[in-house]
Amino acid sequence: MDKKLALDIYQKIILSRRLEERVAELIKAGQVGGFMHPGVGQEALQCAAIAALRQDDYLLYAHRGVAYWVARGIPLEKVLCDLAGKEGGTNHGKGGVMRVVYPELGVLGESGTLGGCFPIAAGAGLSVKVKGQDRVVLCFFGDGTSNRGTFHESANFCAVRKLPVVFLCENNGWAVSMPTERSTAVKDIADRAKGYAMPGQVVDGNDVGQVYDAVSEAIARARRGEGPSLVEAKTYRLWGHWIGDPDSYRSREEVEKQWRRDPIPIYERKLSDERVLSEAIKKEIDADARAQIDRAVEFMQKQPYPKPESALEDLYA
Amino acid sequence: MRTITYAQAIKEAIEEEMRRDAAVILYGEDVANFGGIFRITSGLKEQFGEERVFDTPISENAFVGAGVGAALTGLRPIVELQFADFLFTAGDEVVLKAGMWRYGHGGAYKVPLVVRCPSGAAGVGPEHGQCPEAFFMHAPGLRIVCPATPADAKGLLKSAIRDNNPVLYFEHKLLYATKGEVPEDGDYLVPLGKASVRREGDALTLVAISAMVPKALAVADRLAKEGHQIEVIDPRSLNPFDRPAIIESVKKTGKIVVAEESYKTLGVGAEIGAMLMEDALEYLDGPLKRVAIPDVPIPTSTVLERFVIPSEESIYAACRELLN
Repeated sequence: MDKKLALDIYQKIILSRRLEERVAELIKAGQVGGFMHPGVGQEALQCAAIAALRQDDYLLYAHRGVAYWVARGIPLEKVLCDLAGKEGGTNHGKGGVMRVVYPELGVLGESGTLGGCFPIAAGAGLSVKVKGQDRVVLCFFGDGTSNRGTFHESANFCAVRKLPVVFLCENNGWAVSMPTERSTAVKDIADRAKGYAMPGQVVDGNDVGQVYDAVSEAIARARRGEGPSLVEAKTYRLWGHWIGDPDSYRSREEVEKQWRRDPIPIYERKLSDERVLSEAIKKEIDADARAQIDRAVEFMQKQPYPKPESALEDLYA
Repeated sequence: MRTITYAQAIKEAIEEEMRRDAAVILYGEDVANFGGIFRITSGLKEQFGEERVFDTPISENAFVGAGVGAALTGLRPIVELQFADFLFTAGDEVVLKAGMWRYGHGGAYKVPLVVRCPSGAAGVGPEHGQCPEAFFMHAPGLRIVCPATPADAKGLLKSAIRDNNPVLYFEHKLLYATKGEVPEDGDYLVPLGKASVRREGDALTLVAISAMVPKALAVADRLAKEGHQIEVIDPRSLNPFDRPAIIESVKKTGKIVVAEESYKTLGVGAEIGAMLMEDALEYLDGPLKRVAIPDVPIPTSTVLERFVIPSEESIYAACRELLN
């Protein structure tokens, strides 16, 4: 990975973490409502995977955090306006922060039901194939969602039709209060790829380089017309399922231990060792992130709410 | 004008639209190699190739949802469900994805998807014989059409394919073999949301949906011989729904019967009744009558099926009650 890309990914990870911290403050202060499922601890894999996409590729993100949008380059103020249910966002108050959409960057939106993403991803892959393009579809999902029937139907459908879809499982060990080992029969979700005759690979989701390489390889395969792949990134959800989750189902020891695997210091050490990141650059990136967020929050606070009667718009084309 | 069957009219609409627009594709279970279990699509794979006409695994959630994904990204998919009942199998993808994706994302995308749904009781029992239109009338975002004649089968399907919204296209299995005049014009379109007055009259309004239309016309003939000229209205599409057509007719007749192959509770007739209560109560000179399935699943044995499905006799009896 070249230095510029490595630093760009770092900058997006930091921006995501700072934004999420700010969002949590806004929600706790009652300044925005919002149905936010934080992704703290998973930003590294999210930013690394999205960095492997081309501008014209399609993205179906999952519900875990803000990093997908930050990494894809959606303006922060739009994300915040969607969170607040205001004008100035991407969906005019219709879908909240769970349905941030950005057609210009291939961001198709989000399914409210977990696992609704898979058939949509398959369909976008179908479009690409029918039109003879070389775009790919990156579809994020969690360990819990890998148990939906739609995953299995869509994986098989994509495999038999050789559709250019990369399934990226963020295995963070927990589906709300249900640990993966109790919800899921296989230890590695990547093993499920065998059932659909596609490559399945496990990587350390807190290691930027591993995620970037594995996703890049899967994308290259999809572009060559060789069909779908499954990448499983092992990671951990450091915060609760939602902002305000009492998180009473996990031991404090477990969470403490996982904070020692926080991907940010791990990546910082690596970049410092490689002389890509100095203390000065680190400070600069952090200050820049905070300034961007301040501007975006200010923009959001000044935006109006949608007109109530606009609830009747946007249904039919 | 030449005469073709309802089944041929459906195929002709697909063929013409696939020739007209490369974004139109067709897929579903057994539609390509076998030509569909009702043999509507035979020969289309040979004509348009395996990329545009293909068979899918038995995975209704995946392939209906893929229709939504493909529609979001620039195709105009026609997805065939083997039976309309399988809409429930793909319920999330139909109601929550096809119906709500555009709205939930603030109008950022359109969803030009057609789901073909062979409907109707034909000795196939509870899970293969329903006309489930009413369930989906309740769901925002879905267009619903149910042609009763070969000409409408063609014109409504072509309009559905060109429409930028998801359309559930209900084709009644017992109508496939019926014949009628169908225009050969490649731009013959029947607009969504426009009812058809199948027979004019002023004694009573009989609203009939899908395969109830031929039965309603036979009842109208019989009543005419008895001196009552009734009006037969075929709504043709249930979303959008042509409310003015029904209200205008009721203003003239003051009496209304609705014949449908849905369950009676909260069926199409119930919605029409509520609509008349709101907008046309003063024109009614008697109660609305519903002829529908008496809230049981559709039994398989023909003897039992005949008992629950509205017949010419039961429609006639309901009209007679109001006319007496």
